[in-house]
Amino acid sequence: MTIMVALSVNDLVVQYQSQKKKVHAVDHISFSYKENESIGIAGESGCGKSTLGLAIMKTLQENASVSGEILLGDKSILSMSEPEFTKNIRWKQISMVFQGAMNSLDPVFTIKKQFEEILRKHNFEGDYKQTIESAILSVGLTHSILDKYPHEISGGMKQRVIIAMALVLKPKMVIADEPTTALDVLVQAQIMILLKKLKKDGLSIMLISHDLGIISEIAEKIGIMYAGQIVEFGNMQDIYKNPKHPYTIALLESIPKLGETKKIIPLKGNPPSLVNPPSGCRFYDRCPQAMEKCKKEPPKIKTASGFVMCWLHEQ
Amino acid sequence: MEEILSVKDLKKYFVKKGFTGNDKETIRVADGVSFSIKKSETFVLAGESGSGKTTIARIILGALEQDSGTITFSGQEITNHADSLKKIRLGCQMVHQDPYASINPRMTILDIVKESLEIHNIGNNEERNRIALQALSQVKLEPVEDIASKYPHMLSGGQRQRVAIARAIVTNPKLVIADEPVSMLDVSVRIGILELIKELQEKYGISFLYITHDLSTASYIGHRIAILYLGKIVETGPINEVLSTPHHPYTQALLDSIADPDPNNLHIDRKIRINESSGLVTYQGCRFMAKCPYAIEKCKQEPTLEKISDTRQVACFVKIN
Repeated sequence: MTIMVALSVNDLVVQYQSQKKKVHAVDHISFSYKENESIGIAGESGCGKSTLGLAIMKTLQENASVSGEILLGDKSILSMSEPEFTKNIRWKQISMVFQGAMNSLDPVFTIKKQFEEILRKHNFEGDYKQTIESAILSVGLTHSILDKYPHEISGGMKQRVIIAMALVLKPKMVIADEPTTALDVLVQAQIMILLKKLKKDGLSIMLISHDLGIISEIAEKIGIMYAGQIVEFGNMQDIYKNPKHPYTIALLESIPKLGETKKIIPLKGNPPSLVNPPSGCRFYDRCPQAMEKCKKEPPKIKTASGFVMCWLHEQ
Repeated sequence: MEEILSVKDLKKYFVKKGFTGNDKETIRVADGVSFSIKKSETFVLAGESGSGKTTIARIILGALEQDSGTITFSGQEITNHADSLKKIRLGCQMVHQDPYASINPRMTILDIVKESLEIHNIGNNEERNRIALQALSQVKLEPVEDIASKYPHMLSGGQRQRVAIARAIVTNPKLVIADEPVSMLDVSVRIGILELIKELQEKYGISFLYITHDLSTASYIGHRIAILYLGKIVETGPINEVLSTPHHPYTQALLDSIADPDPNNLHIDRKIRINESSGLVTYQGCRFMAKCPYAIEKCKQEPTLEKISDTRQVACFVKIN
């Protein structure tokens, strides 16, 4: 079976129903990328970036309603039944490294037992020992780790184990949700080096992060999310060198860089609530270049390698 | 320049008992740490988690007692005596890492900010209200009256951190200890907080002890830096010099691990100049020896902080660069 890993998301909407409120976590998102490409989804907390990852994995909470279309190759993920998705896609074609994954290891089982559980759940019929060991080796650990309990290993090793677990059934694509937060700086960098290596070996990574620095290490394509929408999408080179949306510009500027003493002007205000998002451009209140027109929903304007949702770039 | 705080040869060991109580393990969170902070200066204490940064802050404020070493705050040695603790707790305030946990959810913003005035018996209620409102406007929480009557849950993370800063400056302190004040905040509001710290320093001459693991934000607001590794300062000096020409291999490794947002990163293989280590911590010789790519035989002896210029010190026999 040959697998096309190209993923495309069309007009995806995810809403959470919480008591009487509706939270518009992901609002009409569309993007796509090709096989062997990696993508970065950048945005601040609460902008819906984790929800996007969970929607692709079909692991949203029960109070979430999803509409739109997610295509993996030519198969529609959202219209697939749960058993079918589990059987063919989950962990076999797409897997996920969850946020705070280091704490998701079960403290009362050895690492080996937890690997075996995954394989069993997915009705794996090959050689367990060999499969687990090759996964462990691919993340730079030795098989001596398998007999240890989670408390015996360091945070960085736990994160490597979690990544190895995501790779155990050899998926073509991994969604990594903040894989380096809560790790020490040196360990963070080592995990990024590992992800870079895995990418070189042919893995397609979707990196969800608030850190534009680490995204620049592995992503060819990047989507900037703000208040539930992707406000700018394109090649990483284009977006970092020539950002178009005022939010992207502000986000890139607000990162202090070593050796630069330039004064940075902070962005005023806070992102809007997703319970009742404002009509028109969501960045309106904070935008230094807001105009009258921006009170209307901004159009998606084509750029060299993607799109930008901003009236400023209307032709 | 006037020295606000001086810490000399601070030592604090924690003893971890094993399951049976027989196998004890000593962890040296501060092992002979000395530094001083001048007036209107931001001094950065940088290191990984577990290197002892927060413990040092807690000892300064008297929340923990040191095993040995002295702390002198504006000319007076701080002991465990009530009067001297009061002096440092009035003149030295703290801003914690997590603004969601560090302010009381059941109190209004005004009550939170004026609480320390009440504790230190400053003014009557009316004056306290006035001073607290003034502090809120100093941290740019506008409109002040409106914010003052709100509860913490009605504010965003950045606003909460501003409340924590207002609470810290309301007693007119000489020194504020800021323990990772921006690491929990969103990227776009971080700069606002850093700019606020800078501005408060320029206006009121407050000294800051900025504790962090993030060298990029440190270089944005810091004047001098001390790099801490396993309870020891390995390198110290003016921040620009230390970060542009590090002499200690650990400082270099920290710098290697910073990823600036640069599209060229995609095609560059990154290297951190560090060895994989067994993970065992030994307190013999140089602490960094196991991970150090430059280690020589001599490193089995303990290096001490040596002067390499008028302003810089490094604890390393090799001294790269």
